Amino acid sequence: MAGNPMQQFSVHKIGPEINIGGIDLSFTNASLFMVISAAIILIFLFVGTKEKKIVPGKVQLVAEMFYTFVAKMISDTAGSKAKPYFPFIFSLFMFVLFCNMVGMLPYSFTVTSHIIVTLIMALFIFIAVTIIGFAKHGFKYLSIFVPSGVPAVLLPLITVIEIISYLSRPVSLSVRLFANMMAGHTMLKVFGGFVISLGLLGGWLPLSFSVALTGLEILVAFLQAYVFAILTCIYLNDALNLHH
Amino acid sequence: MTIPEDFKTRLKIAKSKIKKQSQFDSEKRGSFMGSAFKLGTELVSAVAVGTIIGFILDSWFDTKPWLIIIFFFLGTAAGILNVIRTANRMQKEE
Repeated sequence: MAGNPMQQFSVHKIGPEINIGGIDLSFTNASLFMVISAAIILIFLFVGTKEKKIVPGKVQLVAEMFYTFVAKMISDTAGSKAKPYFPFIFSLFMFVLFCNMVGMLPYSFTVTSHIIVTLIMALFIFIAVTIIGFAKHGFKYLSIFVPSGVPAVLLPLITVIEIISYLSRPVSLSVRLFANMMAGHTMLKVFGGFVISLGLLGGWLPLSFSVALTGLEILVAFLQAYVFAILTCIYLNDALNLHH
Repeated sequence: MTIPEDFKTRLKIAKSKIKKQSQFDSEKRGSFMGSAFKLGTELVSAVAVGTIIGFILDSWFDTKPWLIIIFFFLGTAAGILNVIRTANRMQKEE
């Protein structure tokens, strides 16, 4: 039968158990699909940039499209100062996008539907952006917590609110990606279960829903990768161009 | 009564325009859903972070339950601030 719709998210070990210093470092299906996504990106970009034709072939065209897409996104949101961070944001965008897209294949595992994966990425971005901000501006970076033009009486209150707003960034960044991916995949599985339980007579309606939802999910997979990358750019912009 | 030829072609053009418009709308709906979800998580995450900070400070200073209440409201304010900022940013992009 169709089984539990949440079963697709279960993590299980592949191969021998690896335990280093009390920390379980075994290779799981989640790690496997991360490796697969990374390998697909590497192969795709390697093939795409191998020939460097003036009139690009199909693969080269798509690879160049990704490049210009990310480059334009960075220069639009964070300005020219953010150019040195292009490699990081490009890898981030490609990794999230390909993890989402590989997760759309049947029988695969969606890495980004686990909060621990998205939270670690978001925390890494959050800490990195904070360090960049302090490195560029020193203690003046703390002035992002103090908006200008606020009456002195309200200043302590506003500062606390700003700090909470700043600390909520990694949470909203990670929860958004994780919740979108998990909700979408659970919904797909539930509709897939309906198809089987309603059988040949009534199964056509949920099946058509399933097809439509798959299209929507592919859109969401791309959109969430884009949102993840663009929010990173916006946070980077706050850290690089300090003005209020 | 016969419908003049001129009217028929105009009707055709108008109908195709409506069709195009609705197609455009359904394309845009996907991105609106994305931004709606964006705003929702902005609000909820700030409330959650504020409440967690209040909870931690409460157990540090032994002032249960006052700080968690105060920080819940501060978190809500921060969430609304987040939403307003995101909305401003989206309006600028339009």
